[in-house]
Amino acid sequence: MRGFFRLWVWFSFRELRGHAWRTVVVLAGISLGAAVFTSVRLAANASVQSFAKGMDAISGRADRTVTLPGGRLPEELVSVLFNSPDLIAVSPLMSAYVRVEGSDEPLLLFGVDPILERPLRTWKSEPSDSRKDVRMWLRLIGDPFTMIASKRFLQKSGVRAGESVRLQGVASAGSFVVLGELASEGPGALERGNIAIADIATFQEFTGVYGEVDRIDLIFTRPLTADKLDRVKALLPAGAELAQPSEAKETGLVMIRAYQMNLSVLSFVSLFVGMFLVYSLISLHATSRRKELAILRSVGASSRAVFLLFIAEGCFFGIVGWALAVPAGLFMTKKLVGYVSLTVSHLFARVNVEDLGLTGWELLLSFAITLLVAVLAACQPAFEASRVRAREALLMREASSRDEANLIRRLSILGLFLAAAVWPLARAPAFSAIPVSGYMATFSLFLGFSLFSPIILKAAGTHLPPIVLRAGLGETTYLGTSYLRSAGARVAISVGALITAIGLFSALVIMIHSFRDSVSAWIHQSINGDLYVRAKMSEINSYRDSLPPEIAAGLEELRSEAEVVPYRRILLNYGAIPYLLEPIDTVSYLRRSGFIFIEGAPASVASALNEGKGVVVSEVFSNQTGLRVGQRFKTVVESVELDMPILGIIRDYRTRGRVVYCSLSFFEHATADSRWTGAIIFVNDRGAGLGRRIVGLRNRILLSAAQWGESIEASAGSDLRLDILQIFDETFAVTTALLFISLVISALGVATTLTILVLERARQFQTMIATGASAAQIRAVIGWEALTMVLMGEALGLACGFILSVLLIFVINKQSFGWTFIYSVDWLTLAASFPLVCAAALLAAVLAAQLVLRGTPASVLR
Amino acid sequence: MLDVVAEKITRIYPMGRVEVVGVCEIDLEISHGEMVLIKGESGSGKSTLLSLLAGLDRPTSGSLTVSGLKLESASAGELTEFRRRSVGIVFQFFNLLPTLTVIENVSLPALLAGEGRPAAAKRAADLLSWLGMDKRANHFPSQLSGGEMQRSAIARSLINDPSVILADEPTGNLDSKNATAVIELLAKLNRDLRRTVIIATHSSLADRYCTARLVLKDGAIVES
Repeated sequence: MRGFFRLWVWFSFRELRGHAWRTVVVLAGISLGAAVFTSVRLAANASVQSFAKGMDAISGRADRTVTLPGGRLPEELVSVLFNSPDLIAVSPLMSAYVRVEGSDEPLLLFGVDPILERPLRTWKSEPSDSRKDVRMWLRLIGDPFTMIASKRFLQKSGVRAGESVRLQGVASAGSFVVLGELASEGPGALERGNIAIADIATFQEFTGVYGEVDRIDLIFTRPLTADKLDRVKALLPAGAELAQPSEAKETGLVMIRAYQMNLSVLSFVSLFVGMFLVYSLISLHATSRRKELAILRSVGASSRAVFLLFIAEGCFFGIVGWALAVPAGLFMTKKLVGYVSLTVSHLFARVNVEDLGLTGWELLLSFAITLLVAVLAACQPAFEASRVRAREALLMREASSRDEANLIRRLSILGLFLAAAVWPLARAPAFSAIPVSGYMATFSLFLGFSLFSPIILKAAGTHLPPIVLRAGLGETTYLGTSYLRSAGARVAISVGALITAIGLFSALVIMIHSFRDSVSAWIHQSINGDLYVRAKMSEINSYRDSLPPEIAAGLEELRSEAEVVPYRRILLNYGAIPYLLEPIDTVSYLRRSGFIFIEGAPASVASALNEGKGVVVSEVFSNQTGLRVGQRFKTVVESVELDMPILGIIRDYRTRGRVVYCSLSFFEHATADSRWTGAIIFVNDRGAGLGRRIVGLRNRILLSAAQWGESIEASAGSDLRLDILQIFDETFAVTTALLFISLVISALGVATTLTILVLERARQFQTMIATGASAAQIRAVIGWEALTMVLMGEALGLACGFILSVLLIFVINKQSFGWTFIYSVDWLTLAASFPLVCAAALLAAVLAAQLVLRGTPASVLR
Repeated sequence: MLDVVAEKITRIYPMGRVEVVGVCEIDLEISHGEMVLIKGESGSGKSTLLSLLAGLDRPTSGSLTVSGLKLESASAGELTEFRRRSVGIVFQFFNLLPTLTVIENVSLPALLAGEGRPAAAKRAADLLSWLGMDKRANHFPSQLSGGEMQRSAIARSLINDPSVILADEPTGNLDSKNATAVIELLAKLNRDLRRTVIIATHSSLADRYCTARLVLKDGAIVES
């Protein structure tokens, strides 16, 4: 082993050290790729951990949780369950996001029964003092409008124990006396410490929700049997669900992990491009050092030792690249974590990330993948090097790499096979919401294009030169372009790296543009109201609060000057899949607004929908539940069973995407519940001064609502539309950053490859100088070589990108998130990759030409 | 008429802190139409002298005029033009560009000099035919034997009709049969086409054809 290591240092390490700049560039490429991969994994992992920790902290030690989807449970149920012999602990829980006056940051306020709560969750106070604790908890029960707040919240708001803090809830505002501090652990660490607890009676008084609770957590006697579950179920009111707390966690985790997987795959592409860089350099060593390899073989090195020397070179790049990537990755993680958690909060579940999610497993994974990628990159050149025969040492000139034409042919056939596999892979179903076959299709596409590129480059090198010559571009262009004809597999692989990066860039540019265009079309078609009135913090509190009836009545009175479209929103579950049931005044809504239909004829759907003869569902709901047009949608809401056919499938890009629309009048009739979650208002007079009239109407609504407490929000539709697009842009900020990095790595790859290729042929260029080429002609030849490589990479990359964009939009997004987009190409942004890659290639060409010209042509005589 | 006039030309190569003398104070006059052999052991300065005569390098001191151009003071553009028009070089390792076919390699100097492709290709084909290489015109260098490669390199050196042909160990990588053929070819160029031919070589094959002979040792002429 020591002997082999010494041989590696002599033979390989000294070569790497002797050409330090190119070693550094390749290390920079692989470490940047590894850093991106590691940081994205860590950032996404932090969100997953935060979500899981939050869910565990809330669930506590509960075996089961009782909820009423779309509503609240009657408080009497607590005492009914308390009397069950099958249960040893029963604890009601309420929660709502509220605001501290003067601050925009929401505070999560829990309403608990401190006595019933004790077996379920451990709320630790700080400093821990059992006698003081007992007094504090007794005061929480006995004194109205008292609360215990987390230490971090108190530090941040500058409030101390014994002082008051004024909270703004949905229905009212009130001052709470802070009794003490909660330690930042367990449930006290939720929401990054932005939490407080109050007695459940205080909570109900503050929120105006009397006689109801959000959920009841249960601990069963042991052993927990099906009989016990059945007996407890029998005690529940109609529509109530008894579920394991882990179900909601698992549902959330599946969605977040799908997003994590998408980001990981995206970040892996940077590493994949870095792999091409490693391949490029090791392959150069394998071809340019054939004579040395033959000498090595002639003095006794086995072909296995030669193979291992090159594999060890790959290991060197993997290990050193990873070591450099760790600090860079941690730095990038700190920058990324905020964006990723914001996206997760927007799309799936609210998370508040506290630490970086750095675990030994994640470090080991990033090390293993970086090493694997680098070793894989070394395999083919190592195999090629191991086939060098000792007798080549005696040959006058170096034997050329054997069977390169065969290798190119074999690679092309493999490339064709992989490209052909894209279609069947794309049609395979997802595995547990993760589009495994979609990813396989993506990599099959990349590899297929990369492997197929040698033969395309050869064809281009044969057919392009006569064309440029006929176009009058001169001999230097001819020489530069004809180089591709016999450039060999290594150039093709480097162009392959470029194809990968350009392909990914183009595909994501198309996908993001299609997504944005679809969202834009959706908000202009479906979110086109002038004003949106709803209960305060309605969305963050899962639409549990409805508009006060007085305000709903007040809105009805506006009908002379505006169309008022009332709606309900109820958060329900279809199996384990949460969705929104949205009964809406479809007659008014469809008069002023409308759905973007994917399936179903709009006119016939509208009339059936208005008559309450069916529902329309969002594409996401349809794809994730498997329910299609014509099938029946069944649910129980407020103890009433709804069973209606699905009339149509529509586009809907709200952040959690799963929504079912039905007629509000039908819903009110079926459930005898006429509450509104909110209303959309369209001003009748659309003439000049519309903006002024909207602002005036908004002010009047808020002023009128003030007499019922500051319980509503009235947002201008234009602001809402802007907010949606802003959320969209924030969501894709990470993707754009990743795209840019993979482009930079590929530009680095093109620059390195080109410089290596030029320096490798320095003697040929010196010969040209010796036979009469001027410096300008040498620069032009090298420049045209660079440009041809970039042009071919761009052209093939674009072709690959267009196919990949279809995969992303219609396979991967559909399988991961349930939605597809209206296909739309942003040509301008698509063109942005070209100047970057061209600039990198031309800069490399200029530098490489300078290096060639710095040498003396007299060297050809030596 | 003199094709080469060298007065005390010296070429010193700085190698870190050490200076290596390539050639030292060489005086030389070669008339048009001569065939000159430069002989000497490895490291004697043969290739250095040839690279100075070919305009591939400049003397550190002294004056060197080849085909009427003072090389020590010529601009880069003048040197390029000189290499294109005035001299043709034949290398020991042939130095054919592997990505070009034989005919493309031969016509390259003409194309670089701005000549039209049809005219350059016609002349290249004529030269290849004259050298018995017409059937190999569309082959790549990797498909040729050593002798064929050297004949192609000679054709390339002649494409721009230079007055001086410089050959650096032209038989160094050839077997004896091919080596003899190449030397005879160079002698034919000298004799029939009236080119000045300067050959740096170890070999004695060309001895009987030469009109002058220089022997170098440690960068200086020790015998002429």
